[in-house]
Amino acid sequence: MRQPSSQWAQGPAVPIISVLVALVLGAIFVLVSGHNPISAYGALLLGAFGSPYDITETLVIAIPLTLSALSVSVAFRTGLFNIGAQGQLLVGALAAGWFGAQFAGLPGVVLLPLTILAGILGGAAYGAIAGWLKAARGVNEVITTIMQNYTVIYVMHWLLQDGPMSAPNALGTPASAPIGDGAVLPIIVPDSIVHLSRLHAGLLLAILAVFVFWFLLWRTSLGYELRAVGLGARAAAQAGIDPKRRMVLVMAIAGGFAGLAGMIQVSGLFHRVYDGFSSGFGFDAIAVALLGKNSPIGITLAALLFAAFQRGGTLMQSNAQISSHLVENIEAIVLFVIAAETLVRALTRRRGTPAEAL
Amino acid sequence: MEVLIGAGVLAATLRLATPIAFAALGGVITERSGVTNIALEGCMLVGAFFGIFVADKSGSLAIAIGAAVLAGMLLAALHALASITWRADQIVSGMALNILALGLTSYLNYDQYGTTGTPADLPGVPTLTLPGVSALPFVGDVIGKQNSLVWVMFILVVVLQLFLFRTVPGLRLRAVGEHPRAADTVGIDVRRTRYWAVLASGALAALGGVYLSMAVSGSFTDNMTNGRGFIGLAALIFGRWTPVGALVASLIFGYGDALSVSLQGASIGDLRFPVQLLSVIPYVLTILAVAGCVGRSRAPAADGLPYEKEGH
Repeated sequence: MRQPSSQWAQGPAVPIISVLVALVLGAIFVLVSGHNPISAYGALLLGAFGSPYDITETLVIAIPLTLSALSVSVAFRTGLFNIGAQGQLLVGALAAGWFGAQFAGLPGVVLLPLTILAGILGGAAYGAIAGWLKAARGVNEVITTIMQNYTVIYVMHWLLQDGPMSAPNALGTPASAPIGDGAVLPIIVPDSIVHLSRLHAGLLLAILAVFVFWFLLWRTSLGYELRAVGLGARAAAQAGIDPKRRMVLVMAIAGGFAGLAGMIQVSGLFHRVYDGFSSGFGFDAIAVALLGKNSPIGITLAALLFAAFQRGGTLMQSNAQISSHLVENIEAIVLFVIAAETLVRALTRRRGTPAEAL
Repeated sequence: MEVLIGAGVLAATLRLATPIAFAALGGVITERSGVTNIALEGCMLVGAFFGIFVADKSGSLAIAIGAAVLAGMLLAALHALASITWRADQIVSGMALNILALGLTSYLNYDQYGTTGTPADLPGVPTLTLPGVSALPFVGDVIGKQNSLVWVMFILVVVLQLFLFRTVPGLRLRAVGEHPRAADTVGIDVRRTRYWAVLASGALAALGGVYLSMAVSGSFTDNMTNGRGFIGLAALIFGRWTPVGALVASLIFGYGDALSVSLQGASIGDLRFPVQLLSVIPYVLTILAVAGCVGRSRAPAADGLPYEKEGH
């Protein structure tokens, strides 16, 4: 028998409590460091949603966050911990950036889909390595993906600084050659509505990806098998599902979502690959995935919240002279409270939680 | 040859290996007790910041180092609380604390020093000039004038190696990490042992941070550890969870770093030597090591698993 209180504890209790705890501790922190928490949070909110332009900027951040979180979540659902979304994102960006520049002359109807595919495949291949090492050699995917994250950073330095992908540009920063016009994701907000908005068609791809995530996991037999492996590899094996093959596949899918995030950053925002362009979306994605409880709606809401934090934090620093790093502290506390979920469970007086139903 | 095995490169190897080794030593202790601590990076970072911060406020080197070590231990204590007492996911807790360390130190750095940076004339950890040795050719150039923390690191490697494999408390610590139930049965306090191990890892990693800020650069900059805690993690895995192994791995990784500096601008024929790719070595070697391609690295059996007493 499910009671309303148990639904609350199973559902949004932990995420909401963790965000509230983080905001309160953040406020105390601001106060102790000699600032006014109300003006801090006011500036944060205004920065994220204060004008149509700010809202589109928040959405621009939410796009890669959502996709990276889907990457982390699909692995979580299969019982794997993908810390490598960041690395997979960068590989996806490199693959898309290379393809989009190499075949720049192709018409958009051909070039854009293929560039998307290049990004997805790049990320998928990189993710699959971790899945394969886990399946074939029993290597903990946490270790592999951490090492992979750093590996790609230095390979990227080489490729863009003086390797085969480097190309001169006006800013003088290491970067690749520009992608073809056909590979660019168009701006979807008319200039007459929001002047100089950067919100691009990647938003539609992100929405589509959330739908694909839901459909894959809850409406296909493969998704059923993946979730079965996630709930118990041994039991799944007895039911005739080979967990090892699923591990490679799911890490490839995870990498694909992250690779798409990287492709979108290149095609939607920068139109070339800059060295070190990504501000750690793949790491924030872990918090977003957990805060969203690995559900499509939860991830979307959590990604919007974190995007608002980040966008708002930047403006808080310039308008209220409070370091935008306050936002990282809030995010960290959210994550820490979620990690200590048992504690929150105890606080909401839930004991002996039943296994989550398939 | 000078750029490959010259005294300058070898001295740089020692300098670059030291912070990695401190983090790796911390990692060895905590993982041997059965707690994974990926917050080593964060512990280093708070050590680096609070060393400089307290040196600025107190003017005392000893107090500054003490405060830095304490800060590292406090962050580690949060990890211990989450992973041992609350049986939280250790990776998630570690990630959270890394972000917290980055956010906290960057916030305070901006709040205290704005955009001008930390003061220039702070007390730093002194260099140790070895009498007699420093005058020797080659050897003197390599080890004659290293920072005192480099030697502290070497001493700690020996002490911890002996502690883990030659003493009863060390045996108990390893037992807790391999088979906590058996350890519990013979009367070892699993929780207490793990708490101390995690706290020790925070202190050791913080010393690595102190080395970076107070010995090498004399200042703090945001995110100055730049992933060295994670290289430390790689070093302890590549070094097969032993202090001496971790040191050897740190030296190999440090040598790679030193080469990437000394080979800067070098070329093979018409091609620039890809120095950036040298930095990939620690990570690729570690993946190969855990995959069993270069020997076989095996983690302590109960590493990363929370322990719950029966009947609770």
